[in-house]
Amino acid sequence: MLLQVEKLNKAFGGLKAVNNVDFSIQSGEIVGLIGPNGSGKTTTLNLLTGFLKPDSGSIMFDGKEIAGSPRCSMCGNGIARTFQLVKPFLNLTAVQNVMIGRTFGKEATMNLKLAEEDSFSILEKVGLRSRAYVLAKDMTLMQRKRLELARALAAKPKLLLLDELMAGLNHAEADEAMETIREIRASGITILIVEHIVKAIMGLSDRIIVLNMGEKVAEGTAQEIMYDPRVIDVYLGKSHA
Amino acid sequence: MKKNLSFVIALVVTAALAAVPLFVKKDSLLTYLCMILLYVSLASSWNILGGYTGQVNLGHSAFFGLGAIATRLLWFAGWNILLAMLVGGLLAIAFALLIGSPAFKLRGAYFTIGTLALGQILYATVGNLFPQISSMPVQDLISYTLVTRYYLFLAVALITVLAATLVANSRWGLGMMAVREQEDAAESLGVNAFQHKLLALVLSAFLAGLAGGAFAFFQIGYYPQYPFSPIWTLDSTMMAYIGGTGTILGPIIGAIFFVVLKEVLSLNLAEFHPTVFGILFILVVLFLPGGFMGLWKRIKDKQQKKRESMAELSHP
Ligand SMILES: Nc1ncnc2c1ncn2[C@@H]1O[C@H](COP(=O)(O)OP(=O)(O)OP(=O)(O)O)[C@@H](O)[C@H]1O
Ligand SMILES: [Mg+2]
Repeated sequence: MLLQVEKLNKAFGGLKAVNNVDFSIQSGEIVGLIGPNGSGKTTTLNLLTGFLKPDSGSIMFDGKEIAGSPRCSMCGNGIARTFQLVKPFLNLTAVQNVMIGRTFGKEATMNLKLAEEDSFSILEKVGLRSRAYVLAKDMTLMQRKRLELARALAAKPKLLLLDELMAGLNHAEADEAMETIREIRASGITILIVEHIVKAIMGLSDRIIVLNMGEKVAEGTAQEIMYDPRVIDVYLGKSHA
Repeated sequence: MKKNLSFVIALVVTAALAAVPLFVKKDSLLTYLCMILLYVSLASSWNILGGYTGQVNLGHSAFFGLGAIATRLLWFAGWNILLAMLVGGLLAIAFALLIGSPAFKLRGAYFTIGTLALGQILYATVGNLFPQISSMPVQDLISYTLVTRYYLFLAVALITVLAATLVANSRWGLGMMAVREQEDAAESLGVNAFQHKLLALVLSAFLAGLAGGAFAFFQIGYYPQYPFSPIWTLDSTMMAYIGGTGTILGPIIGAIFFVVLKEVLSLNLAEFHPTVFGILFILVVLFLPGGFMGLWKRIKDKQQKKRESMAELSHP
């Protein structure tokens, strides 16, 4: 088991954003995390990456308890993420953005020449090679999303957390992104993906976890989830059950 | 190729600066160059934390002042001046380490205001503790030569610019810029933001402390409080912004521009020059983001684009 989350809790005032959530992820899986707006998906990712400290619960990653570890140590543990609202280094070039992942992430190199070469090939993977010397602030939103992915990849994670990376993409772009995500998995990286696009999440995930109001309401393959009355409840309301 | 060219230019400029006292015999002109070199040191050291790491520090004069006061006391007590300066730099580091933790708990404008307050506290405290003017002892006055001071200022400026260049082009520099641009993203990629800010502060403090030491060796008589004055901070900050923060050349250009303009203004406008600088600063912040270096880069980018579109036209 690569990741094992047990009884994870996080409240904001009286609001239980993540309520006693358990789940686990095996090496090599793509796991989908879905749920309506405000159901606690991003909060879960924030807990996994140290951006929030859990109120209680355990997060075992790669045989190590990491709940509450500082956020800058998570990358070294082997977890990298993208942000729902992208956070590029605006005044740096694409290749510099990626080099930061390569020089501070897992298996970081101190050799800037090597880091630069690697960063070019990572940019190639996400289709940004020709934009290597463009400042992030001069990129479109779509390019910034790919850059964010490239940066996380450069950190050589074992587990990659993707928070709505595909939101706002058109059909063709989403298909391309799905292909990229499959390639990433094929390269040996385990993926936890948060996405609203049904086609993407169903097409990519080996397993799907459904959250509602901070609680896990269902878990299973795409087929199982689709016909699960609890999930239908969550998305369509009780009357349709 | 481009790196080699910059290196050659830097060597030539250094050699030219080293040769200056052979040709310039007028004390007023040499003093003037000393001031430019001092300000290059102050603005460049400020830039390591303020420009590269994005932490706008308005307490920079504290480090300059600490370097000056320690150097002055030790030098008068008979120490070798270089050794005294080193201790001044170390004292500045000690103060940086002391304030680093609490100061970096503050973010953005709060950090800026916090450092301003610290600087003011030190300024007032030194004024109370050392109210007497500090004058050079007679034997030092007799042996005083401006050329020695010039070389010391030159050495400190070179060390500062060299240190800034090395850091900016290192892995640490990448981390600092990442912290400046987006702290959350930087940390998610493994950059320890606090460590990077602290390193930038310590280096910035040490270099400002050395500059303070050179000042203590140069200035014949002054109130010990004077180097702690916020005016040093404001001047260095403005120079960095005018020239362009987060670049190596920016603070250098800013310092030259500032000292020259100040000279011209104080000759002609005497009392008004602070006002003129204030207005100039606001204009730069509003209309010249990135300072002179930013402007230069935009012009170059435009030319590049023009060239690209010309190339496209001729090879459709
Ligand atoms: N830092 C915070 N402080 C207070 N409340 C928060 C904070 N972060 C999230 N919340 C609240 O916690 C709940 C869960 O939010 P979260 O962002 O995890 O939802 P989500 O599933 O990612 O939603 P979306 O699909 O809209 O991105 C929401 O009600 C949100 O308002
Ligand atoms: Mg979310």
